[in-house]
Amino acid sequence: MDLRLGDIPLRQTVELTHIDLPAEEMEPLLERGVLPGCRICPVRSSPSGDPIVSVDGSLLALRRETAACLCVRLLTALQDAS
Amino acid sequence: MGDLHHEGDPAASGTAVLSEPRDAPLVALIGPPNSGKTTLFNRLTGLRQKVANYPGVTVEKHVGRVQLGGERTVDLVDLPGVHGFSARTLDEKITRDVLEGRMPGLHPPDALVLIVDSTRLEAQLMLVEPVLELEVPTLLVLNMWDELTERGGAVDESALAERLGVEIVKTNARLGTGIEAVQAFLARAAVRAPSQTERTLTNVPGGVALPMMDAFAERRRRVRAVVEAAGFVPPRPSGFSERLDHLALHRIWGPLVFLAVVVLVFQSIFTWAVPLMDGVDALISGSGEWIATTLPESWFRSLLVDGVWAGVGSVVIFLPQILILFLFLGILEDSGYMARAAVIADRMMYRVGLQGRAFLPLLSGYACAVPAILAARTVDDERDRLATIFVTPFMTCSARLPVYALLIAAFIPDEPLLGPIMGQRAAVLLGLYGLGIVAAIGTAFLLKRTLLKAQAGSFLMELPPYRIPSLRSLGLRLLDRSKIFLRRAGRIIFAVTVVLWASTQFPRVDGGPPLIDDSLLGRTGQLIEPAIEPLGFDWRIGIGLVTSLAAREVIIGTLGTIYGVEDASDDSLDLMAALQRDLSTGAAIGLLIFFVFALQCMSTVAVMRRETAGWKWPILQFTYMLALAYAGAFIAVRIF
Ligand SMILES: Nc1nc2c(ncn2[C@@H]2O[C@H](COP(=O)(O)OP(=O)(O)OP(=O)(O)O)[C@@H](O)[C@H]2O)c(=O)[nH]1
Ligand SMILES: [Mg+2]
Repeated sequence: MDLRLGDIPLRQTVELTHIDLPAEEMEPLLERGVLPGCRICPVRSSPSGDPIVSVDGSLLALRRETAACLCVRLLTALQDAS
Repeated sequence: MGDLHHEGDPAASGTAVLSEPRDAPLVALIGPPNSGKTTLFNRLTGLRQKVANYPGVTVEKHVGRVQLGGERTVDLVDLPGVHGFSARTLDEKITRDVLEGRMPGLHPPDALVLIVDSTRLEAQLMLVEPVLELEVPTLLVLNMWDELTERGGAVDESALAERLGVEIVKTNARLGTGIEAVQAFLARAAVRAPSQTERTLTNVPGGVALPMMDAFAERRRRVRAVVEAAGFVPPRPSGFSERLDHLALHRIWGPLVFLAVVVLVFQSIFTWAVPLMDGVDALISGSGEWIATTLPESWFRSLLVDGVWAGVGSVVIFLPQILILFLFLGILEDSGYMARAAVIADRMMYRVGLQGRAFLPLLSGYACAVPAILAARTVDDERDRLATIFVTPFMTCSARLPVYALLIAAFIPDEPLLGPIMGQRAAVLLGLYGLGIVAAIGTAFLLKRTLLKAQAGSFLMELPPYRIPSLRSLGLRLLDRSKIFLRRAGRIIFAVTVVLWASTQFPRVDGGPPLIDDSLLGRTGQLIEPAIEPLGFDWRIGIGLVTSLAAREVIIGTLGTIYGVEDASDDSLDLMAALQRDLSTGAAIGLLIFFVFALQCMSTVAVMRRETAGWKWPILQFTYMLALAYAGAFIAVRIF
């Protein structure tokens, strides 16, 4: 149920549902388009194992600690079509 | 201070005190980071502010005048990029203050140009709402139109303009396509009455009524509706960038590529520079000899040949090495690799206790500490920012390079170390850069656990697509760099060498100059000597250490002049031979280490004072670095 971005395998697009971070750490994410409802896809991991995600056509490098605070849900085929 | 200005010094270029009454309207360039604001600014004004392919390049407001044909002019202000108006960092505060009309010395803008990267239209248009709420005439520029269409993206800009209720222009700021439409907008800008200019920006839409996350999501839905109605087709991801990232961010290849780039830079500083340096050397010593034979024997000839030519010339020889360094830095910055390097280094920064964001300012410290200290404004936590600027001077700035190159060439044999890949000289140079990094890491580690205790902040880095650096922009970088270098040599070093030369001429003995040991300069040097004797330095180096407080490379000019006067009888200027005679290898290594650590740069001290609003940090930093330098040299001369 409580799926985090850090658990998602590479190249699987998911939808962000909630950000579990204090306001001052959340705001920079929100401003860069990482907000509830957005589609987000881990595209590769950095040499140190931190995720690099694609969101809205931007590539964003995060720390895995941050990725562990981003709640996501899988896109079912049905939702994809709508 | 006039002569000590480095590039990027706001006192030199950032402030504009506009006259009252105003003759030209003020137009502000705003937009998200890396959207091409400065590229457009440079196009419109003909200025050359720094452009590079990573977010957070501009950290200061820069004003320039645009001539629009006839008598019409507009003042354009380029601003740091922002994603919103929360103003968490100092550079974002500058942008907000200018827009709100609170920036001292600057009128509230009469019109705005909002410039966005059209390949990421949806995310970038999040700025539109708060900007339009300001109710100032606004032009929306869809920049990077070339990249959008090349990768199969599209948008109906007239539909977008209609939906948003703003005028739109498509541009390629790099080539200047679409620039006329921007100029046409500027030509229509008019000075506004003061009563219309007070305003406050709200970052969080809907104020306090909604939780922040929902408020942003709401705004986002509105933007999406507009963008969809305008038929926005997002471009395909850049395959070129993906392939390069596959290498640059690979678990094994990534760090290896990083290392290879570094080794290549250092090796080429020695190998490629040699023929160029020989050329410059021949030019300088040739012209010096020509003057020496053409002018009659006089004090003036001595001043010119033994003082100025020997002093300034010995520094100018190092121009090729500086240019090679900047060529590589330019390629790295313009290509987009810098942002990847920051990602690779982030974990280490995290362990040290610094923000990953701080890596980019630190890297720019390899050119010069002054703009690097300013660039630390992009670091949001105040303690992290202080820690970043405190360790910045340990990054080997380009002013140290001539000193390193001279001493290495004089004392380290030109022999291979790793076969053909790397020679001993390049290895020592690399070691000196490495020592600076170790000092920076150790210092940051200590600071973050004592004076500036705080949790390491988060890390968020946008990775721009790779772009092929244009020859024009690289060429201009090198040209500007040569000008800065030669200007410093022509002003500071010239002035110092003249003063030094004069103090070698007195007190007169039988109407002629004294032996250098008995001259004013020699006596002063001998006063300093006891302090540096434990390091194996003689009084000549002592004088050099004092004059190098103005700027590091001045030590070379100083030694050039001292030995120029001392060895005036033998015509050839050979600073290296003179150093080999007067300095032991241990002391030479000690001197190198001294230069790695010591904060011999008044411009850095001055900019530290301004950026920390007080003397506490610069004094602490200066003392700390001097102590390290002294201890380092003291140990080195005993080991080697
Ligand atoms: N292909 C393409 N590249 C562009 C265009 N405009 C700018 N660039 C490149 O985009 C990068 C960023 O440009 P800058 O002008 O430094 O961006 P900025 O908005 O001033 O960035 P910050 O100062 O960091 O906020 C540089 O590498 C430019 O060469 C364009 O229209 N097309
Ligand atoms: Mg800029």
